[in-house]
Amino acid sequence: MNNERNPIIERLHRQSLQQQEAFLDHIAHRLGRERITTPPARPFAGAPDFWRGFTLEAEERISLFLSNWESLGGVAKRVRSMDDARAYIADLTDRMQAKRLVCEEHPLLADLLPEGDKEREVTVWGGGDPAHLLKKAAEADIGVAVADFAIAYTGTLVLTSSPARGRSISLLPAVFIGIVRAADIRTKMGEVLSVIRTWDGGRMPAGIHFVTGPSRSADIENDLTIGVHGPGSVHALVVDEVDGR
Amino acid sequence: MSGHNPTSTLAERVRIALNNDFLRNAVRFTTERLRTNKQAAAEQIGNWEEWRERGRQIRLHTIAHLDYYLAQFAENLRRAGGYVHFASTAEEAVAITLQIMAAKQAKSVVKSKSMVSEEVHINQALEEQGIETVETDLGEYIIQLAGETPSHIIIPAIHKNKAQVAELFSEVAGEPLPADTAVLAAFARSKLRGKFLEADIGMTGCNFAIAESGSIVLFSNEGNARMVSTVPRTQITMMGMERILPSWEDLEVMATLLPRSATGQKLTVYMSAINGPRRTADGDGPDELHVIIIDNGRSRQLGDPEFQEVLNCIRCGACLNACPVYRHIGGHAYGWVYSGPIGAVLTPVLNEEKEKWAEVANASTLCGACYEACPVKIPLHDMLVYIRRRNVEEGRTKRTERLGMKTYKVAVSSHRFYQLALKLGRIGQKPLVRDGQIPTRLGPLKGWNNVRTAPALAERSFRESWQALERELQQEMAEMSPQVKARLEELAGKRGDRHEQ
Ligand code: SF4
Repeated sequence: MNNERNPIIERLHRQSLQQQEAFLDHIAHRLGRERITTPPARPFAGAPDFWRGFTLEAEERISLFLSNWESLGGVAKRVRSMDDARAYIADLTDRMQAKRLVCEEHPLLADLLPEGDKEREVTVWGGGDPAHLLKKAAEADIGVAVADFAIAYTGTLVLTSSPARGRSISLLPAVFIGIVRAADIRTKMGEVLSVIRTWDGGRMPAGIHFVTGPSRSADIENDLTIGVHGPGSVHALVVDEVDGR
Repeated sequence: MSGHNPTSTLAERVRIALNNDFLRNAVRFTTERLRTNKQAAAEQIGNWEEWRERGRQIRLHTIAHLDYYLAQFAENLRRAGGYVHFASTAEEAVAITLQIMAAKQAKSVVKSKSMVSEEVHINQALEEQGIETVETDLGEYIIQLAGETPSHIIIPAIHKNKAQVAELFSEVAGEPLPADTAVLAAFARSKLRGKFLEADIGMTGCNFAIAESGSIVLFSNEGNARMVSTVPRTQITMMGMERILPSWEDLEVMATLLPRSATGQKLTVYMSAINGPRRTADGDGPDELHVIIIDNGRSRQLGDPEFQEVLNCIRCGACLNACPVYRHIGGHAYGWVYSGPIGAVLTPVLNEEKEKWAEVANASTLCGACYEACPVKIPLHDMLVYIRRRNVEEGRTKRTERLGMKTYKVAVSSHRFYQLALKLGRIGQKPLVRDGQIPTRLGPLKGWNNVRTAPALAERSFRESWQALERELQQEMAEMSPQVKARLEELAGKRGDRHEQ
């Protein structure tokens, strides 16, 4: 967002462009050589070879993801269809007596709650005033979003930000429900990173969040505390069949 | 570098630490837990040595081509709409930050954990300008209220007990809060939630920066780093200039090594990659993103065959947990931002006033446990030897120690003699500590002997503490693994082969 720069920021920016050269020249000088301007050869990059070869079958990936998510203190559930997922969400909303939901604008999440539910307010992210959205997310009891990927080996949901999927949805409410298609579960992080790599840096999502269980801290006398800042209750729903609605 | 003054000597700080029973027990308990978790996590993934070696290779390569990767990072971040700034010193980093504050007319800042921001004393500078600055990591929040500094890289308030935390929070709450973790954490959550929503600026550190896309990557468990990089309109990230990784695929290696080494987790709860400010149509994320790349003494290590590798550090804290000295004295005895073996190296090499910080390198036994624990294989114990040698060469030691170091230097430079000294050190630990002679020759316990005879010490309790330390050190030495031993022995024979790419 570089248009209409504040004059102080403009000055800092110009100063930075100048200082950058001296800063980098100094580094090269300390390293005892000229500046390097062409990509250096990489004899070693990324994970060791034995790890690159490691993959699990689809069923194994699903069950490993579910068990990892559970062992982190989350709730993990495999459902056949989005209808089942919606039923789970409606049930959880009832049980928790949640009054407000915030959810991503996503075809899978349309009609999240049964029609005619006047008791609850559902805020659909997607367009609108950021201040209003922030307020709604901060007030919400439950946030719902669809993950781009899951990682079986670590028990992780990968959520990119977009106009339809605010970062706040998986952060501000006390409860977060993440939905992932079974087909989007990968064995290990590298498979996700190699996809991210292909995105154009200038246009990739501004936030890519890897979420592995509920927010936690052990900062007070080693006592494990769940739900510090982020959601303390996290539900992962793995959906087998997605009808594409 | 300004504002850092060890207000006491190492001996005084150690004495205070050793007299604080809670501190000693807490530090020992916590480091033990972290260490056990780390071992389990390393075993769980398997092939730990291969991961370490790959981590080391990636870090070596990156630092050897640092100018290239920093330029690439800056270009890509600007392309994504972010601002990049370069600060050679702490003062420059502060000046840039204050100018951004002025441009934004900022009145309040929320911060997530950043060790480099501690280095430059940004909180102090902001407070002087009347800008409210709130640390939001639970541990950092506790020590900020207490007016203290972190005593562990990963668990900054490791030295505080529940009752002390309750006291601090009660003051903020204006009502007495019980010493109950759930209550205290809930209080901090709601208090800080208000701060996040009101703050003009979010400040973060940077675990890794990815050159190929201009991204910064933050690891956190509580979610405060996400809050700080999501809610405020402006984000400022302070980044030590060595925090860079060439590509996303390298992140998998670091994401395997860092959380496992720090806490034994397979992955921290949140790993967030921030790629520039929010996209125009996004509903949240900062409108403006500034990344300040900070040197502050780091470039002096470049091209120095003895210390360049210290820039490979990924700040995991594993060396602290493994260190018998840290486990006894806690973090504050080291006197500056970083503690444990990494602190004993970074403090004297990053600070310009060598005189002031020379003795910190003595807070070590050279047992090699730090090297063994380090996920990127930094030979910290070698570096501690080099610092002591330089202290001697540059006349920063007392005469007695100078004599000792001369012998020590001879020992290190002669392979066979070094092996002999090593053997002596291991087998005869106890008598050595007692008569104070061999430690001088071998190096390890020199600083401790000074401490032991310092007149200001409370004789009795110190002697008890000392005996405990002695016992533990003896145990640790006996447990020295064959790998470390081989490594130490190899050291004397061949140096300088390490800066191959
Ligand atoms: S020196 Fe190694 S073990 Fe110590 S904090 Fe740095 S990376 Fe971790």
